[in-house]
Amino acid sequence: MSLASLGVVELAEKVRRGEVKAVEVAEATLAAIDARDPALNAFLAVARDEVLAQGNAIDAKRARGEALGVLAGVPVALKDALCTRGVKTTAGSKILEGYVPPYDATVVARLRAADALLPGKTNMDEFAMGSSNENSAYGPAKNPWDVTRTPGGSSGGSAVAVAARMTAASLGSDTGGSIRQPASLSGVVGVKPTYGRVSRFGLIAFASSLDQIGPFANDVRGAARVLSVIAGKDPKDATSLDAPVPDLERACGGSVKGLRIGVPEEYFATGLDPEVEAAVRAAIRALEQDGCVVKPVKLPHTRFAVATYYVIATAEASSNLARFDGVRYGLRVERSRDLKEMYGATRDAGFGAEVKRRILLGTFVLSAGYYDAYYLKAQKVRTLLCRDFEQAFQEVDVIASPTSPTAAFALGEKVSDPLAMYLNDVYTLPASLAGIPSMSIPCAMTATGLPIGIQLTAPALAEERLFAVASAWEARSGMRGKMPAIAS
Amino acid sequence: MAERIDRTLIHHVAQLSSLSLSDAEADTLTHELAAIVKYVGELETLDTSNVPPTASVLLERAAWRADEVQQGLSHEDALSQAPRVSAGGFAVPPFVDSGSGGGQ
Repeated sequence: MSLASLGVVELAEKVRRGEVKAVEVAEATLAAIDARDPALNAFLAVARDEVLAQGNAIDAKRARGEALGVLAGVPVALKDALCTRGVKTTAGSKILEGYVPPYDATVVARLRAADALLPGKTNMDEFAMGSSNENSAYGPAKNPWDVTRTPGGSSGGSAVAVAARMTAASLGSDTGGSIRQPASLSGVVGVKPTYGRVSRFGLIAFASSLDQIGPFANDVRGAARVLSVIAGKDPKDATSLDAPVPDLERACGGSVKGLRIGVPEEYFATGLDPEVEAAVRAAIRALEQDGCVVKPVKLPHTRFAVATYYVIATAEASSNLARFDGVRYGLRVERSRDLKEMYGATRDAGFGAEVKRRILLGTFVLSAGYYDAYYLKAQKVRTLLCRDFEQAFQEVDVIASPTSPTAAFALGEKVSDPLAMYLNDVYTLPASLAGIPSMSIPCAMTATGLPIGIQLTAPALAEERLFAVASAWEARSGMRGKMPAIAS
Repeated sequence: MAERIDRTLIHHVAQLSSLSLSDAEADTLTHELAAIVKYVGELETLDTSNVPPTASVLLERAAWRADEVQQGLSHEDALSQAPRVSAGGFAVPPFVDSGSGGGQ
């Protein structure tokens, strides 16, 4: 087994004990990227010299007898929406082609402080707007289980980096499912923490009342360790929470006896692939055998989540993306006679079709005469969606459901129908709108060899419960360590 | 809420969004947005007359920090990614409509 296919915790232990040098892990990571990424397009930038220097620095630190961080020598790929000092960052957009941030996102700084290796930036839907990676200005990432299929999105490249065992972990961002859905379609663990759990300083913003950074890893405990490192209050992000970060690794492997698992019938409705339904229901039955108490719950407003999300997220995006105007960074179209023309020409040339679609929709729902009917209405329905969860969590501790209605679909299949693409996110959007933690873990494989994910959702700040149930399932599912042929 | 999404409205919204769309783009977007807005119209079927809006799901009120000067980006770093720099600032095309001299 190559170094690149080890889990986060095993790898960090080997490096701390001196069994493996961090620079050897860096070299193995670069070799895996060189061998596999030409077929997968998961990386938009590989920080070759930087990652080797990081490896050498960690080894030197160990040689001096200094204590190493908990991610010593663990390669963590970064979604290209995260600013990295000195390494180009595009958010998957032409409007930021060649942009080199003069600062690190807080999560990046925390990974560095924990002695992680940072080998590069991963492919994504432009400004995180998409569910298939096909909205990247640099071509889509490919699913390592079948390269004619999508790895999901928007954090597709980060899911692929881990699924194809190029890195043990990665970071993504989740606004409406952009960590959980690609984790499900690519067969890895992906966590969207509670809104405010992780600092967003240095994350290129999409929809600020929804965006949250979280980890991908090739096992549950690895995701717990990475989340522990990046979570916690940050003076640079006023929306980051001051809540104590629990010992998430200790939650892994804990007993789930008596834990109440809710099954929302609204998530097992029309549009759900029967093979996905059978796999998720079988996993829930297995958890019942482990001592969990399974009961039905109602989330009656679920079917309004897609409409609610696409009003709120686009409204916020239209405001956030106003900053890309060709003045301070990124692309500028020079042929303009005056400033207004320069703004229009730059934004038309720099943004892709989906981004324009969402900016226009968001501007429309905020504009005079339409604000109350669309934006305010959606904010009220958001309240109803939050109440659905509040009521359900009076009766259960964790909610289990499919992450996505189908396994990975073919590249090109939904690209010409934006609405069909949006409906794909029906199971991940409600937790985003409610700001509660939710994760996807590998559940089973389809008959044709594609991964199916199961989604676990808990009340705000109860990430420990997610990790307890996820690790109980992982221990009996036989899915840990399953990897696509390209990785072995 | 069955608003009529037509090319005139799309061009108006595009102007508000500082997007210069070609006619072909405007046509495609008119059709796509009409379908999306129609779908979003399903929210109208819910009675929300006594429901307050949710603008944020943050668990605690964002705290104020002390109003003290802190080190930010250096002047050089802040300008390092600008497409055009002039006299230590961001350079932009003219934006004042003036017959004599104009803004720079």
